Amino acid sequence: MNKGQEFNLVQTLIGQCSGASDSRLGVVGPTVEPPMPPAACLRTCLKGDSARIGVDGCTWLRGMASGSFNATALMEGACPRGFEAAARVVRLKGGTGYLLSVSDASRTPDPAESADSALERIDRASRAIETTARLLDENEGLADEVLRSYEQLNLIFDFTQQIASLINTKEIVHALLSRLGETLSANTVLVVNSAGLYRAYDVPNRIWVSDGDLSLLSTDLIDEIEAVRKSRQISVVSSPAARIALGPLSRLDNKTDVVLAIRLQHQDEFTSGDTLMIESILSFGGQIIVNSEIHGRLRRMSIESTRALVAAIDKKDHYTSGHSERVGYLARLVGRRLGLAQNELQILEMSGLLHDVGKIGIPENILCKPGKLTSEEYDIIKKHPRMGYEILKPIASFGEILDGVQYHHENPDGSGYPDGLAGPDIPLFARIIHVVDVFDALTTTRSYRVAFSIDQAREILLKESGEKLDEEVVRIFLTLLLELCEERPEAFAHIFSETSEAAHVET
Amino acid sequence: MSQILVAEDDQHILRVISLWLSRQGHDVLEAPNGLAAWKLAQEHRPAIIITDINMPGMDGLELLDKIHEHEHKPRGIVVLTNRWDHREIGQKLAERGVWVVPKPFSPKKLSSMIEELDKHTTAPTT
Repeated sequence: MNKGQEFNLVQTLIGQCSGASDSRLGVVGPTVEPPMPPAACLRTCLKGDSARIGVDGCTWLRGMASGSFNATALMEGACPRGFEAAARVVRLKGGTGYLLSVSDASRTPDPAESADSALERIDRASRAIETTARLLDENEGLADEVLRSYEQLNLIFDFTQQIASLINTKEIVHALLSRLGETLSANTVLVVNSAGLYRAYDVPNRIWVSDGDLSLLSTDLIDEIEAVRKSRQISVVSSPAARIALGPLSRLDNKTDVVLAIRLQHQDEFTSGDTLMIESILSFGGQIIVNSEIHGRLRRMSIESTRALVAAIDKKDHYTSGHSERVGYLARLVGRRLGLAQNELQILEMSGLLHDVGKIGIPENILCKPGKLTSEEYDIIKKHPRMGYEILKPIASFGEILDGVQYHHENPDGSGYPDGLAGPDIPLFARIIHVVDVFDALTTTRSYRVAFSIDQAREILLKESGEKLDEEVVRIFLTLLLELCEERPEAFAHIFSETSEAAHVET
Repeated sequence: MSQILVAEDDQHILRVISLWLSRQGHDVLEAPNGLAAWKLAQEHRPAIIITDINMPGMDGLELLDKIHEHEHKPRGIVVLTNRWDHREIGQKLAERGVWVVPKPFSPKKLSSMIEELDKHTTAPTT
């Protein structure tokens, strides 16, 4: 409430407190500097009745103003006979005001009664004024609190919406801190990890700028950062150039990052409302980030365990070592070209990695047989996709990869196994894995034949395209193959080596 | 600083918005429902109107229609929506040239919207 509003309020209340018609209650507040002299107050206040209060009244008021400020006093002798005046000094935000009450004593039979009324009237009025002013101030304070909560809620809503699509912990940290910086109108936000490395976010330009290590910051700041890391409490410091709020951000394994919100010297100080917001946002955000880190760690463990398992199975046959890894890799490449989403690509890759898991149930003498298979032996081999499915089915989290494992030997013309599915009935992942599986098999030496060259493999894929292999997938794969030939990734070195055609079969 | 009409049926939210806007120097007219808002709008022709959607009697959308038909157009209209309605209604309203803000609103965002409206006469596309 500003001075003008306060004064209007008081005038209104005075109007309401004025009771009997034989008295006047008035107030004057000094809305200009220097404050109105008491005499002028009286005149303004009483509007026409000023004749009833003489010079002595002014003396009274002057005395009151310099003496006891909160006492209401009968201004004895201030009025001509027949009138009683009482006054009280009221301290408003806008300055000092005088509450004055004048009553016509002659009309009231009991002089004592009228004096009380004047005093009472003033007391009532001053209480009303003080209470109302206080309530209005409180209202404003509460409204501020509510608005601060709104701002905070908005930050949380927007943040959670933003991170719904993020899997990467680093991106989540960035999202949290950039929003925090914007909401605080900070100039820069820094996050320092437990290794003493930091990243800085330029708030006005909305970009993550420098990386650095603690040695680039001042010693005092470094000390403060470590103090906050230990205490996990918010801290605010000031330097000639900046105002800095520091807060803890929880990370996995009980580590703590320290976040710094930096405002330039000409900006406002960090209020307790600001630090409260920082504290709750970092606390909330920290939980989300730790969860995301745990999630990432579990996913990595899961993938690494799967890789180890698969590598073990592949090693049963010397020639298939690394095959599943390569199939997973190639399948993912095809999937990316098809525009699959990040999580779909992960499933596809896992599916490729695990596609031959069923071979663990195939006897080695059949699996590694150097010559042609008999039809009974071939029937046993044909069981491996279904066997892989049976092995993986109980693992609930592998649900989505089962199609790729079970159907990677189905053919578009329905001549495949185990179910003889045809065309579009074959799940996409299975169709992709079939093509890349065949390619990798063709270009590696097996127990039963030497590796084909890339060109030969390409021709075979084209020949089988449409009937035994999905046409679209083959087409996409062959364009990828050109890129693969240029990149020559390590895992595929064997197909690019000159000697692959004349590979000597080792026993 | 402008004259702003605020229509909101929750009296506490109305008070919070009103206090906050007055402190920023604006002249605020308060309306607890669409009908009261419409009456005040016709009488005072405020520069900016901030309105909730769900109000008893005349709701925010009806109010928008009435304002649209009236010959005086405010410089800008801000509609406060539920977070859940926001996506559905937000697009439709933005097409009508109305600013849309989900509740609870961000005081900063609302402030800068009003600053924008104080400067320009054209409603933006959100």
